[in-house]
Amino acid sequence: MQFILILIVVMGGMGLSVEAGLLGPLGGEVGELWATFSVFGVGAALTFMLMLFFSPRNSPSFFKQPSWTLLGGVLGPVYVVILTFTAPVIGIAMTMISILMGQIAKSLLIDHYGLFGSQHRQIDRKRLMALFFIVIALILMAQG
Amino acid sequence: MTIIMIILAVIGGATLSIQAAINGQLGSKVGVFRCAFLTFSVGALITGLLIFYFEPRHALTLLDVPKWQLLGAMCGVPYIVIMVFAVQRIGTAVATVAVIFGQLFMSMLIDNFGWLGNDVIAFSPSRIGAVICLGIALYFIHASGKDTAKTES
Repeated sequence: MQFILILIVVMGGMGLSVEAGLLGPLGGEVGELWATFSVFGVGAALTFMLMLFFSPRNSPSFFKQPSWTLLGGVLGPVYVVILTFTAPVIGIAMTMISILMGQIAKSLLIDHYGLFGSQHRQIDRKRLMALFFIVIALILMAQG
Repeated sequence: MTIIMIILAVIGGATLSIQAAINGQLGSKVGVFRCAFLTFSVGALITGLLIFYFEPRHALTLLDVPKWQLLGAMCGVPYIVIMVFAVQRIGTAVATVAVIFGQLFMSMLIDNFGWLGNDVIAFSPSRIGAVICLGIALYFIHASGKDTAKTES
C-alpha cells in the first residue's frame, strides 16, 4: 500500500515535468502569456469542480482571511511564465533543478526568519547540505 | 544566456516556495481545494489582463495548436490532489522526495528523447554526475523533512 502510494506521488511529480515540457513549445507558438493563461484557465475550471464537490462544507469565506494570505495566485503566473521562458533554452531537467534550488534556498530563509506566518525555525544543516549538492548538480549540468 | 535563464528559473523556484508558504496558511483555514481554486482563478485573471494590454499578435492561437499541447493543467492539477491524499498517509518527507524524483526522472527522459516538441539534450557523463549529486541532496531533504515532521507532531 505504502509502495503504491509512493509510486502515485512519483507519477504526480512526473506530471509536473510533462507540464513544463508542454508549456515551452506552446509558449513559442502562441506566446508565453497565452500558454500561461491556458494553464491557469483550465486549472481554475478543474479546481472549481474539485472545490464544488470535495471541499468541506461551511469552510470560512475568503473575505474573512487576512488579504495577504490570498496573494498565492499573484505569484503563480510569475512562476509559470518563467517556466515557459527558460525550459526551451536550458532544457527541462536544468529548469527543474534550478527551480528546486530556488525552492530550497527560499524555504531555508522563510523558516529561518519565520516569514509569512510560518514557524520560526533554526537554520537547517541538512537542507543546507542539500542546497550545496544541488548547486554542484547544476554546475555539472551546465557543463553539458 | 544560459546563466540568465538559470537565474530566472532559480527566482521562479523562490517564488514558488513563497507561494507554498502563503498557500499553506490559507489552505489550513479554507481547505486545499478552495485554496487551489483561488490560486488558479486569480492567476487566470492576472494573465488575462496582461494578455489584454501587453501580448503582441501571434500567427497561431490556442485554438489552432494540436489539442494535446493544451494538456498542461491536466498534468499539474492531479499533483495537488495526489499530495492532499498522500501526505497524510506517507508523510511530507517521503512525499517531497518522491515528487522531486518523479520530476527529475521525467525531465531527463523528455530532454534525452526530445519529447513533446522539445530540443534533444542527450544524457551525458556529467548529467549522470548531476543525478548522483541530486540523489545525495534528496537524502538530505528527506532527513530534514523527518526532523520537521517530528517537531510538528
